Amino acid sequence: MTAMSSTTTTDEQILLQVEQLSVEYASPGAEPVQAVHDVSFTLRRGEFVGLVGESGSGKSTLGFALTRLQKPPARISGGRILFDGKDIRDLDAEELRRQRQGGFAMVLQSGMNALNPVRTVGHHFQDIFAAHGHVPREARDARARDLIAKVGLDPAVLARYPSELSGGMRQRASIALALSLEPQLMVFDEPTTALDVLVQHAVMDTIRDLQHEERFTAILISHDLGIVLEATDRVMVMHEGRIVEDAASESILRDPKDEYTRMLLSHYADPRAETISIPGFVDLGTRRREGRTRTDVTETLPTVSQRDTRRADAAIVLEGVSKRYPAPRRGQDAVTAVDDVSFRLEPGEALALVGASGSGKSTIAKLITGVEKPTAGTVRFGDIDVTSLRRGGLRELRKDVQMVFQDPYSALNPLHTVEYALSRPIRNYTPLRGQEARARVLELLETVGLTPVEQFAAKLPHQLSGGQRQRVVIARALASDPQVLIADEPVSMLDVSLRAGVLALLEDLRERWGISMLYITHDLLSARLVTENILVLNSGRVVERGETAQVLQHPEDPYTVELLDAVPNPARSR
Amino acid sequence: MTTPSTTPSTVNVKIPDGRIAAPSRWRSVGRMFGTLWANGKARLGLCLLSFFVLVAVFAPVLAPYGPKENGFDRNADASPAHWLGTTAAGEDVLSQLIYGSQISLMVGFAAGILSTIVAVLIGLSWGYMRGFSGEVVGFVVNLFLVIPGLPLMIVIAAYLQNGGILMIIAVIVVTGWAWGARVLRSQTQSLRGNDFVASAQFSGDSAARIVFREILPNMTSIIAGTLFGAATAAILAEAGLEFLGLGDSSIVSWGTMLYWAQNSNSLLTGQWLLLFAPGLCIALLALSLTLINFGVDGISNPRLREGKGR
Repeated sequence: MTAMSSTTTTDEQILLQVEQLSVEYASPGAEPVQAVHDVSFTLRRGEFVGLVGESGSGKSTLGFALTRLQKPPARISGGRILFDGKDIRDLDAEELRRQRQGGFAMVLQSGMNALNPVRTVGHHFQDIFAAHGHVPREARDARARDLIAKVGLDPAVLARYPSELSGGMRQRASIALALSLEPQLMVFDEPTTALDVLVQHAVMDTIRDLQHEERFTAILISHDLGIVLEATDRVMVMHEGRIVEDAASESILRDPKDEYTRMLLSHYADPRAETISIPGFVDLGTRRREGRTRTDVTETLPTVSQRDTRRADAAIVLEGVSKRYPAPRRGQDAVTAVDDVSFRLEPGEALALVGASGSGKSTIAKLITGVEKPTAGTVRFGDIDVTSLRRGGLRELRKDVQMVFQDPYSALNPLHTVEYALSRPIRNYTPLRGQEARARVLELLETVGLTPVEQFAAKLPHQLSGGQRQRVVIARALASDPQVLIADEPVSMLDVSLRAGVLALLEDLRERWGISMLYITHDLLSARLVTENILVLNSGRVVERGETAQVLQHPEDPYTVELLDAVPNPARSR
Repeated sequence: MTTPSTTPSTVNVKIPDGRIAAPSRWRSVGRMFGTLWANGKARLGLCLLSFFVLVAVFAPVLAPYGPKENGFDRNADASPAHWLGTTAAGEDVLSQLIYGSQISLMVGFAAGILSTIVAVLIGLSWGYMRGFSGEVVGFVVNLFLVIPGLPLMIVIAAYLQNGGILMIIAVIVVTGWAWGARVLRSQTQSLRGNDFVASAQFSGDSAARIVFREILPNMTSIIAGTLFGAATAAILAEAGLEFLGLGDSSIVSWGTMLYWAQNSNSLLTGQWLLLFAPGLCIALLALSLTLINFGVDGISNPRLREGKGR
């Protein structure tokens, strides 16, 4: 593919040529790890190319190597990087610094934290102009205003400090800063991943428009094939340090050649569709209609639990619940996180709570579990008034109401084995001890599909993948035999290919054990797959509610429509 | 696709089997030591410290005479018989120096360990507490932080006159724990935000268990840093108190050597070695611990370990 494109283009059109580039991580006292193997590709001027891969595929390592920003222990172990016909692999620091003007620039994932908090945005521009001296002194203010307008911000932003800007605004400002050196090549490393869904969408639009207007060459690195296919002309798919597919976006969409690309693509679907299927999964509504259970996945999970599982019998009821936080600063208004929300979570029901960040969905989870107390209204679990519980009562409540956390990387203590993590709730909430408790740990591991169980019980969290960790977190939540599971974005930190497995597990447990589940997410596709009913939250208020399939196919509130539009969908862009 | 590939792909382990090792406490201690040794400054510190430890342990073998043998010429200069000369009371300075290392090391580590224990207990529970009780602990810690350390030490030591080494250790612990508690409290507060702490609460664990089983093991390196810092401070404080004559002046330590040398005006008599030798030893011992602390930074922050610049 690359060979073909390089023969059809003349040398002047080629901006970047990478030949058999390898990058390895060589930590002292450890075997060097090859992160990028023999990668070769060319970029024509003005091209917008996507680089897609799951975590650990080497895509960011490659991006850093291209801009020579790689830090020890990473080092380029072989190959050439020809930028504008010149090998940049062995440039020294000063040549590299000069090269950054009119050469290559990078926008980082955490670019919004890359601004110095004690200097205004305007200062950042002045620093860059001063360091490179490519803009005459008197033109600098005008140039800064010009650049900040290009990324869709008001020139007044220049006088503000980074802490006064939102995440999206800061990311736009750092894009404008990268543009200020008039680079020929821009590398965007996950520019929107740390942003809220709705903001994500808007920033991506800005990047796409900018690229069209300015005609710079750009590489967009992302884990999300949907976002990349929507934005770019050509996509390179990376897997285990190699580029496995390199083709025009349309042809990848229509006719993916590589097995891995096909697998990635199969995990995208439009939540608005009549029926949805992703590997191993058909949406709940369709399944109910056709009167079948998801037997295919049930087969892969062993049938355990000869014990009597208790079906959930108590509902969670919220009535007129509000939560206000005191004003962050004197003179500002109090923050209303949750505003007059009422709903019931019936025993055995799966209810989705969706909204962008700041819509109050996680606050509701805190109110239900008694971590926070509401300022008005009541939260009840069966006959218990959750708001009046003190420490001992909360402990009793948590026997029945358990939580699955968003980030499996921080939800497990890095120093304790899986067995220890699972044994704690068993010890605290059940009468099982010694051998019986251990048997229960193994049984739980089998339930969540982590076999061979003895091996997994002895492992430490860093020896597990993200998906496996999330399964351990789910197993721990199940250990006390709870009636209600509150899942706070349980798959948002996981790679696309791992999501379906975890969702299938949650869904299966709910159906077989009769646990009710409150599924908190911003991802409407997953909500469609695992829940019956949905509640859409906007700034703490419920704006829409009903059956999940119904609401997503025929949304009424503009906010729901906006959320639906923000779901990356490779098929829609063309 | 009728049989989904989802479950196998999730269960797929990314780490090769060979690198999965059974967790072992000794292995992690060994790794910590390896990281220390890899740091040049820490290696120098470890060598210095082990030299002093060996001298202290083998003092009876190494010292040419007993520490309190006073039958020699008084105020003698350095000679083949007495490498560093003799004191005004006719004791061999080298032997005193060798035996004195025992007291300095013992007091330094005992007081360092004890004040670290106090700092851990108070700092961790303070960091985990919220509301009024946290304020109360904060008030007490701040009180100890604002009182000038040396005067407080002198007052307490003078009040408990002639308590001996145990009294000195107690004084150092009482005045030395607050700084460590403050540092550990900040670290506890930042670790408390982790989901694994919330998970432990959901698992029904008690507050004490969460603090000491979930949070504490994650701060081993900071605690090690506090320990070396506290030991350094304790060694200096012990020498200071004894130099002022507030300890038991009948024991032989580097501090009392300085005290007696000062009392006999040895600088005026030209015997500068009497002040210089114990002073240098105190400085070197404190230096060795400080150097080790550079390496401890590397344990807690891998970035400080890898970097030799670009």
